[in-house]
Amino acid sequence: MHSLDAHTWLAEHGDYLFRVARRQLHSDELAEDAVQDTLLAALSARERYAGDASPRTWLTGILKHKIVDIIRRRVREVELPRDADGEEAVDALFAQDGHWAEPLRPWGNPQTEAELGQLRRVLDECADRLKPVMAQVFSLREVGGMETEVICKELGITPTNCWVLLHRARLFMRQCLEMNGFSGAGA
Amino acid sequence: MKWMTTCKETTELASRAQDEHLNFGERLALRMHLAICTNCARFAQQIQDMRKVLRRDATDEAGPGLSDDARQRIETELQNRLDR
Repeated sequence: MHSLDAHTWLAEHGDYLFRVARRQLHSDELAEDAVQDTLLAALSARERYAGDASPRTWLTGILKHKIVDIIRRRVREVELPRDADGEEAVDALFAQDGHWAEPLRPWGNPQTEAELGQLRRVLDECADRLKPVMAQVFSLREVGGMETEVICKELGITPTNCWVLLHRARLFMRQCLEMNGFSGAGA
Repeated sequence: MKWMTTCKETTELASRAQDEHLNFGERLALRMHLAICTNCARFAQQIQDMRKVLRRDATDEAGPGLSDDARQRIETELQNRLDR
């Protein structure tokens, strides 16, 4: 029988839940909120915890909903995604005729654990540098693996806005990686 | 759709292909452009790689966890709820 003790959950899974939340919310403060919301919700729902999933799996399931709730509240506060600098920054990547302004460098082919781990760390750092809501939507999709359609619906943003955010995020992430000199160790 | 898309349009298609199913004309336009454009082919590959790397389960990579302050705060909230 797994422990149903909330203090034990915090002690044993708090750091893990925080790291998962941090990677999708890109803010320590919001990630802490997500952990707290999750544990409080788990406390209220503990009678319904059947115990067939491990506590960590069960808590992570609750956490995913709490992350979406937090992002939804943030999305309401910002105007999406018509921030001019986002559009200008995209335009700057291309010439007038729609060709790339600069050639793209290859990343090489990271294979080893160390290379992949390093690439992931740089990606996480680059995502932290995106505009908060853009980073959050991007990570729900690319880190969390949530379907785009579900993301738009859950967050209450139009599919077009959702898609523009994701596309810009990908362009900026790729550029950030290149600017950080990631051309693939061993390429 | 015109017979040849620009790089800018192609990146939009490549990006959308990561999120939804493109229609036949779009798929064709994307493939034609990628076949002759190294930069766009690179972009399409890199956004796929990006996803692969970001989705790797890396629970072993121990980044910073909860700060002592946050842990204490959450502990207090839980206790308040339990005491109610």
